[in-house]
Amino acid sequence: MTAPWPAVLPHCCAGRHMLLAQILSNGLMTGLVYVLMALGFTLIFGVMRIVNFAHGELYMLGGFATLILFGNLGWNYYLTVVVAAFGVGLFGVLLQSLLLKHFIGRELSGMIMALAIAITLQAGANIIFGPEEQSVPRPVTGVLDLGAAVVPYDRLVVGGFTLVILAAFWFFLQFTRWGLAMRAVTQDSEMAAVQGVRPGFIHPLAFGIGSLLAGGAGALMAPIYTIYSYMGELPMLKAFVVVILGGLGSIPGAVLGGLLLGLVESFFATMYSTTVATMIGFALVIVILIFRPRGLLGRTA
Amino acid sequence: MRLAAAVLILVGLAAWPFIYDQPFYVHMGVMMGLWVALALSMNLMLRIGQLSFAHGAFMGLGAYASALATMRLGIPFPIAFLSGGLAAASVAALVGPIFLRIRGVYFALLTFAFGEVVVLTFVEWVEVFGGNNGLFGIPKPSLFGLQMTSRPAFYLFALTFAVLSFIAVRAIYNSQFGAVITSIDDNEMLTRSIGIDAPRYRLAAFCFSAALAGWSGAFYAHYLTFISPEAFGFWTPVNMVVINVLGGIASPWGPVVGALLLVPLPEILRDAKEYQVLSYGILLMIFLLFLPDGLVGLARRWRGRWRAARSAEGRSAAGLEQGKREKRAAA
Repeated sequence: MTAPWPAVLPHCCAGRHMLLAQILSNGLMTGLVYVLMALGFTLIFGVMRIVNFAHGELYMLGGFATLILFGNLGWNYYLTVVVAAFGVGLFGVLLQSLLLKHFIGRELSGMIMALAIAITLQAGANIIFGPEEQSVPRPVTGVLDLGAAVVPYDRLVVGGFTLVILAAFWFFLQFTRWGLAMRAVTQDSEMAAVQGVRPGFIHPLAFGIGSLLAGGAGALMAPIYTIYSYMGELPMLKAFVVVILGGLGSIPGAVLGGLLLGLVESFFATMYSTTVATMIGFALVIVILIFRPRGLLGRTA
Repeated sequence: MRLAAAVLILVGLAAWPFIYDQPFYVHMGVMMGLWVALALSMNLMLRIGQLSFAHGAFMGLGAYASALATMRLGIPFPIAFLSGGLAAASVAALVGPIFLRIRGVYFALLTFAFGEVVVLTFVEWVEVFGGNNGLFGIPKPSLFGLQMTSRPAFYLFALTFAVLSFIAVRAIYNSQFGAVITSIDDNEMLTRSIGIDAPRYRLAAFCFSAALAGWSGAFYAHYLTFISPEAFGFWTPVNMVVINVLGGIASPWGPVVGALLLVPLPEILRDAKEYQVLSYGILLMIFLLFLPDGLVGLARRWRGRWRAARSAEGRSAAGLEQGKREKRAAA
């Protein structure tokens, strides 16, 4: 078991409403990263019907890209995040066209193939970068004191970046032809193909965008946590939980689920412990899968 | 003739550690037996078309149940060991009716979450399960006051356990029950339309599979005399799947072949654990892409070709067809 993702500890807890404000702001900051992970995961599932067990490893690649570009080569941090995200996105296109392409429509083998990719990437990173946890300096330091709550600036940067990425992603899906094609494939891949949407183009594109989001999340979180080959396991777990809360393949569901999980975890982590928070997350998954197998916003079959 | 050969092979398998008592090789033999049983339990799940990540948890439940029964309650080993499998099976029977309503990807994710909750319980409930440190000093197996301490004796136990598991799983597949669960995976609607209560069959397969994992866990606990929660996490069911894919899913021989090949790998690459994991990943990819029927499937295909070439109407296509038919018949 990896250690639970540490929550930002509240610095000031003068009153009950202040504690609540701190829980809310912590929850939102964590939730936004969950959304970033879950969006890519759910997009890949929606378009290709493949459960991407390698999603956490794409996050890890984003982290290592930051270690090299920002930590070792001294690039500008914001440029690093953009380059890392697009680099991991391209890598995702490659993975899809070389390996996962053959498993579309074959659920069981597709899941096992994604597992194989995850294992290979993790072991590869372990061999190349070593098992030690490494870190990069924080690009910004200090905290923003809102009176009722305290938000570290670096988390604020992550939150801001995430919002920009989410807006761009939403614009892409709603207002571009490719986005329209992607939504069409998610709804009904056969009908979309009949209408001239080429799966050979949309599938790598969707996998690439999903990878880009995961790589971006990894690059954003790299200065906040440590960088090591297993760093993607926990975010992938969170992505699982989130997409099940929201419904596999549902984009609004991923946003809602991510924020919900962030807030719920923040509450239980502050009031009890991070383990209790993790347990609650999994318990939620089990309850939801049993009573609403398609998630809160998922379509009924 | 075939029976004689089987008996001869079994006798050979049972006898070698007593002649060549090298702790390292005997230990490897024990681990192979354990993994054959674990992979067979996963094979049952794959046979009903479901990928279960809860099998690490079932193994853990069996391990902790048997260990705690002997340590805290002083229950004799044979009964504790049996109760290990039964504990896992009862949990499966409890959650199965709900879990098995859910299919495919959702089932995989649900069992994954369930497995994590069980492991977190082992970690958090320190008074009972010993937390992250696990349980120490689990007694070695004993029967009628005789304690099993020598490694070859353990190996015999492992061999018996693996062979019995294999015979049980094979008997299931060859029985009407096996035909039913295969047909459920092929076409559940059609199966139900002829009056077969498909959910009950799936539940039975799930429970037996969990029991097998539980007994494997109990065996593991009493062999190592030490267990900790991390042994029952996500990677345990993943290893069971890897063994199945490499050996071949379509036949109970698949898990046997897969375990015999894969279990020595960590021992050979002992000093380089990362390379072991890397080779798992790469092997898995190669097999999924090029040998989806696994080694047993490959062997069957070659045998089919060879027979087809010998027979009068020997054409290569016929060999493939025959291979497929044989796979169905033998599986």
